[in-house]
Order: sequence, then C-alpha cells, then structure tokens
Amino acid sequence: MNSPIIGDRSAQWKNYFIALVITAAIFATAFYASNYFNNRRIAEIRVTQDNISIDILSLETQFELLAEHSCKDISENSVLSKEIRPLADRLSYLETQSNVDGSELLRLKRYYSLLQIKDLLLMKKVAQKCKLKSVFILYFYSNKGDCKGCENQGYVLTALSEKYPQLRIYSFDYNLDLSALQTLLSISEVENKLPALSINDKIYYGFKGIEDIEKILPQLATLDKTATSTAKAKSAL
Amino acid sequence: MFGDGVVYTLLFISLYFEVFLLVTFLEKRSRRKFSHAIKNAGAALPRVCIVVPCFNEEKTLALSMHSILSLRYPRELLETIIVDDGSTDRTLEIAEEFVRACPVVGAQRHTIRVFHKENGGKHTALNLALQNTNAEIIGCLDADSTVGEDALMRVVSVFENPDISAVTPGVHVRKPKSALQHIQNAEYTLSVFNRFMFAALGSVFITPGAFSIYRAKTIRELGGWRHGHSTEDMELALRMQKNGHKIANAPAAAVYTATPKTIVALFHQRVRWTYGFLRNLVDYKFMFGNRAYGNLGLFILPTALISIGTGIYFFIRVLWYGLENLLDMFARIEVTGVVPFPSFELFYFNTSALLIISLIAIALILVLISAGSWLGTGRRMPPSGTPLFILLYGFLVPLWISAAVFRAMFKTGVRWR
Repeated sequence: MNSPIIGDRSAQWKNYFIALVITAAIFATAFYASNYFNNRRIAEIRVTQDNISIDILSLETQFELLAEHSCKDISENSVLSKEIRPLADRLSYLETQSNVDGSELLRLKRYYSLLQIKDLLLMKKVAQKCKLKSVFILYFYSNKGDCKGCENQGYVLTALSEKYPQLRIYSFDYNLDLSALQTLLSISEVENKLPALSINDKIYYGFKGIEDIEKILPQLATLDKTATSTAKAKSAL
Repeated sequence: MFGDGVVYTLLFISLYFEVFLLVTFLEKRSRRKFSHAIKNAGAALPRVCIVVPCFNEEKTLALSMHSILSLRYPRELLETIIVDDGSTDRTLEIAEEFVRACPVVGAQRHTIRVFHKENGGKHTALNLALQNTNAEIIGCLDADSTVGEDALMRVVSVFENPDISAVTPGVHVRKPKSALQHIQNAEYTLSVFNRFMFAALGSVFITPGAFSIYRAKTIRELGGWRHGHSTEDMELALRMQKNGHKIANAPAAAVYTATPKTIVALFHQRVRWTYGFLRNLVDYKFMFGNRAYGNLGLFILPTALISIGTGIYFFIRVLWYGLENLLDMFARIEVTGVVPFPSFELFYFNTSALLIISLIAIALILVLISAGSWLGTGRRMPPSGTPLFILLYGFLVPLWISAAVFRAMFKTGVRWR
C-alpha cells in the first residue's frame, strides 16, 4: 500500500479506551468460557457419581435378595472397577485446574470417598459370602505437599490396577473432612506417616513399588491369570 | 498464585498492545482508503542521494548496486555514493568498476561516486556522504539489501508533505530459503504492520538502515548520524522524535534484505539490535511516560520495554514447567516401568483461561501479519513461515534478549560483525 500514513503523536485516548474495553471483554469471555467448561466437567462427574450410587444401592439390594441362595448373579466387578478409576483421574485433573469451584470439588471428593467406602464394605461382604478371592488395597495419601512419595505411589497403583484389572484399589485423602473416612482411619489404625497402604487389613508405611506389592500379595499372580483367562474366554465368544 | 498474577498481567499488556494497534489501524482505514498507486506525478522531484556504506561487502555490493541502477527515477536527479569504510576485501575494486561501467540511461549517465576511508563505523560513512552531497533527500541502502524498482518514487512522493523529515520503507526478507529465514520473513511482515502503525501514531523509533530516506537539511541540523551503540538508525529516529520531526512510512516501498542463515548469525545480529535498543532507551529515558512525546512516550516505548521482560519471563516459565513435567514423566517411568500416554478424552481437553487467551493472542498476531502482508505486498495471505514463527519465535527471542540485557547492564558493547 502506498499510503504513507503519518499521524499526530498526541495520545489517542479514545482508541486506548476502546482497546481497553475490548481486551477486558476478551479476558472476561475467556474466564467465563473456562468456567463454563469446568462446570460441565463437574456436572459430568456428578452424574457419574449418582450413577455409581444407584449401582451400589442396586447391588446391595441384589445381594440382600440373593445372598443366602446364589452368588452366581453377583459379579465380582459389577460396580466400581469400571467407573471408579476414571472418576479418580478426573477428580485429580480438576484439582490441578485453577478456576474450578473449590467447594464444589471438595463436595465431589467427599462423595467419591463415601462411595468408595460403601463399595469396599459391600465387596468385602460379597467376597466373604461368595468365597471370592478378592484383593483389596486401601491407599492413604496427602496432597498438602507434606508427602514426598505420594505422587509416585499414585503412579505405581495406577500401573498396578492396569496390570491386574481385578485388583480393587481405594484411594483416600488422609486430610479429607469426612466422618466416615475418619472412622475408617481409626478402625484401620492408620497413622499420619504417608503414603500408607492397607493391604488385606495390614498397614504398610512409605513408598512401595510394584515389586514390593507383588511380594506382599503373591495371590496377585492368580488374579492376573484369572483376568487373562477371562479375557481369552471373552474373545473366544 | 503470584506467578499466575504476573502471567495474566503480562498477557493482558501484550493483548492490549495488539488490540490497540488493530483498533487504530481499522480507524485509520475507515477514514481513508489505501491504494497501491504512486501519488507523485506533477510535483517537481527532488534531487536524491543514495548512500551505500560498505565494510567487506564484495559478495553483496553488486546486487545492491544493480537494484539502485534499476530504480525508476530520473537519472539526473539520482546520485549514488558508495563509501568504503576501510574494507579489507575487494569491495573498493567492485565499487570503482561500477563508476567506470556506469550505464547511460536515455541521455543521462547515472552519477556514482566512491569514497574510501579508514574504518570508523557506519555512522561515519553516512556522515562522509552527507558532507559531500548537495541533494535535498538522502537515504541509505545497506549493501546487503536490494530495493524494488518503484520504491524510491513511492518514498519521494511522501516528501511532498513539507512536515515530513523521514520516510521508512517496507522491509522484506530477500528470497527466504531456510526455515530460519522463513521465520524471519513472517517476523518482518509483522514489522511492516508495526512500522506502519507506529508512523500512524507518530511514534516511529527506528529508521532501518535498509532504505530509510531523510531530508538532508534535517540531518544536517541534527548534527548527522551518531554511533548510537551500534544502532545509529534507532538513535537518529529517537533524536528526530526528541526534536519534533515527523517520520512517515511507505509500506509498499519494498526493500529486500539478506537475513542470517544460521541461529548463531541471527543471535549476534539480534543481540546487537536489542543491546542498542536498551542503551538508546537509557539515553532517551526522559521520553518514558512523558506526555510531551504522546503515544511514543506513553505507550510504544514502555510497551517495547515490557515486551523484553515478558519474553524472558515466559521463556523461563515455559522452560521451568516443561522440565518439571519431563522430570515427572521420567520419575513415573522409573517407578512403574510404563511410558504414560496422554489422554485424548474430551474431558481432559485443556480449556483453561490462560490457553484461551493465548490462542486469541496468536489469532490476533495472525491478523496483524496478514495486515502487514496486505500493506507491503497487496496480498492478504500471511507468509508460509508464519506457523513456524508462531511456534518457535517465542523460544528464540529470549536467547538474544537475555544476552543483550546482560551486556547492556554491564555495558560490554557489541560487535557490528
């Protein structure tokens, strides 16, 4: 273009103001959009939790109806194993996001912990009455920055649950203000030396690698085989 | 939390700068239609002197000279002065060959004169030419640059306005080949827009060595060129602003400059520019926040300085978090023996305000580059190196900014080459 613009250098307050309004509007829109998407995520988690709650209630009812008669219809993996892991990951992800409603997130986390405790109790009952070889791991962590090994312990347990799909791992924030959790902590006699693992009702403190846990739980090998054979059976069908 | 506050503040300033330029551009555009036509027709053309300062330019001088000889401008009104600033190669020999073989166009022979002097820096070469010409208009063409055929006519037509003391051209990368040169091409296209807008705001603070043209009288009144911490083009522009001279821009007056081919060469060039910028800012610090200098003092210079801090801050932050994530990933692989894969679930799609604002800022940069392309060439498409520019430039800039800040703080000086 051959328009050699030469302008007056006196400050153009009108344009400064318009630019300020536009920039502020862009920022406001970005924050609104981000907030909107985070609320959508929270709503999605809430729906998942409600579904899990209904499933647990259904299983409890099913168990009460059939407990004395038959265990065939109560699947070992019927509820949490499918949905609890992604839910935990999603909650962890939301915890890292800056503009998420903290109180809402805390509410979801408490709800999630409660669902886990209910599932744990129910699954223990099912395992006992139906003589299933279930293995339960309770993992207690803190994300206040006072637990060095917690992050790595979380990675190990994620890898372990992927390796042994039938393994039931329940993770709890040690500092969460939830009376049911505090009761579980006192019954299990878990001290504030995190990370802590409760494996078949015995407490282990400090970081434990995959091999350590496999040594503690030799029956994991059987679980693995069961999972593989189940998978093979499924693929054969 | 403090870190987030700093990030959002710097992002706000960067975005505000882009929006302000765009708003002003659209406002100017609505007031007057821009066209590619050359305005000057009937007015008497002034006598022009193009100075080609050289220091060891045996490889590029001929190309620059041929482009000057191809300029569409009356031969009798155009004079070329080659100043050999103590070259140790064949520069002087090549320059004298041009004098001997000077072509005759029509009835007129092109006037070429050659001066040889001891090496004293570019500003001394320009001042020597200034002393030895009686042309009304004087300009400089670096020996690593070539000029479009119509460029001089486009620039000279601007001087019809008696208030204008200098005109800057639209500088482009000459035949970009490597990825690095394509990145610079996008950067230069963005500069075409910025320079155009700075002129619109009366705030030009650099008159690039590649074909910036001045009224000789003004330069004489101001005392000629100075060393200006190896950036005499910036020092002169700031001095002109200080003395109330107006600097215009003719973006369609195309100049093509050779750009560094390697990162190391680019690094040295940019350290020199940034160092000169910082040291000149110190010399002209009275302009900062000074309403007497309008947009330049209140907005353009402070934002240019903040952008240096922003570049360093974002680089360190990205590097810090990048390394943290990398170490985290290695730790994860070490304890689990499994390489983690990122999730592509919609749930995990990043929708943070920071990312949304950054994407808007990038989109605006694209718009500004397109506007620069349109102003400079009439084409709206941004150059092909634009994606690479957006992806990589932010990582390159802090390298030379940091080095220049360090050198400016300790006044170590920089090499011209």
